[in-house]
Amino acid sequence: MLPNAKTCHYPRTPAEAIRILKDSGPRALILAGGTTAALSSDPKVEVLLDITRLGHDGIQAAGRGFRIGCNARLQEVASFAPLRSFCTGLVAQAAGAVGSRPIRNAATVGGNAVQVFRWSDPPVAWLAMNARFEIEGPAGARTVSADEFYARHPRQALDGAELVLGVHLESPEGPHAGAFSKLARTAFDLAMVDVAVLLSGSRKSCQEARIAIGATRTLPWRATRAEERLRGKPLSAEALAEAARLTREDTQTAADARTSKEHRLHMVEVMVRRTLERAAAELR
Amino acid sequence: MQIHVEVNGRTQTFEAMPGESLLSLLRREGYLSVKRGCEEGDCGACTILLDGRSVRACLLLAAQAEGRRITTVEGLGSIERPHPLQQAFVDAGAVQCGFCTPGMILSAKALLDETPRPDEGQVREALDGNLCRCTGYKKIIEAVLLAAQRMKP
Repeated sequence: MLPNAKTCHYPRTPAEAIRILKDSGPRALILAGGTTAALSSDPKVEVLLDITRLGHDGIQAAGRGFRIGCNARLQEVASFAPLRSFCTGLVAQAAGAVGSRPIRNAATVGGNAVQVFRWSDPPVAWLAMNARFEIEGPAGARTVSADEFYARHPRQALDGAELVLGVHLESPEGPHAGAFSKLARTAFDLAMVDVAVLLSGSRKSCQEARIAIGATRTLPWRATRAEERLRGKPLSAEALAEAARLTREDTQTAADARTSKEHRLHMVEVMVRRTLERAAAELR
Repeated sequence: MQIHVEVNGRTQTFEAMPGESLLSLLRREGYLSVKRGCEEGDCGACTILLDGRSVRACLLLAAQAEGRRITTVEGLGSIERPHPLQQAFVDAGAVQCGFCTPGMILSAKALLDETPRPDEGQVREALDGNLCRCTGYKKIIEAVLLAAQRMKP
């Protein structure tokens, strides 16, 4: 219940939405899927802005990848056939790992990307893919890489009146494979650890490795030392195990209601190794 | 504010606070099949169909329903003429206390609308957001499969 919400706007274009956001400042709250907003009781919120009617709700093939509109639902991403095979289904699996179907039917790609909680699954895939976020605001349009987007909380990185309108995905050139893993107590519990990896090249010689970890700290992050360990090297069992060990060393985490720090660290290593093994097995 | 919404095929105008949940609005307007359970998106007792898709009424604000199409169990069938899903739940013994049943039936309806002949795995997946604390899920899954069989074109 948002006790002081007095009005709701239904902008038909991004420009209209941005104008209302600019005029309303911190009194405005954007509604997309609404799954987070509905649980808020923020007394500052007076103006609601339902952005689900301004378009940008489909998934289109583009170049070596896709453009996913901000208003696409997570369930659409999870079940869109071309995405289930794109990069070995990495992105579709991460979207399908969120909550239960009725939550994925409501929650949107844009809302999930910006809201990003510690346990959010799709942002880990955006980081592994180095997705690009299409952003529009009062000063015009800009594109931001996932590395930059998640370097600090996106709500701080976005100017108050900016909107994420889409996410662009591109696969690496040449042979590649991805994999995603989530550790949770039940199918729809929040993640204790998330791992997304994207490898390119061959098992004899890895060209690039991107390893993204979620749920261990506030924002998803990349295990860059582990990535460097694999770059240009054979993807042997020893190399994958060492990359997993390096990731564990670089993991900053703490205990929470779901599990201990030690268990989470242990599972980071186990899951990074297994996720890398799954992706490597898809390469020649 | 006024919310214009189609509920179970009837166009309605409701008076709502923009910041209240759709669950609270629907119950105030008499759609009591939409159950108030956990109110945080876990249990699925407040599941409705919004433009044909299963969603949580507790995780939507009333304002988001403007111009949309809602289905609740009140719109599916009556005691005299139950929907095949409702009849199948009775016949398969899938109802015990009944609190989760409306949500289960709507999640199942969304599935059958899209996939008229689901396999058991698809039924389990479609109901993955609906908790039952009485019967367990076996008879509920059997009921959905029975309804699918009876509804086959």
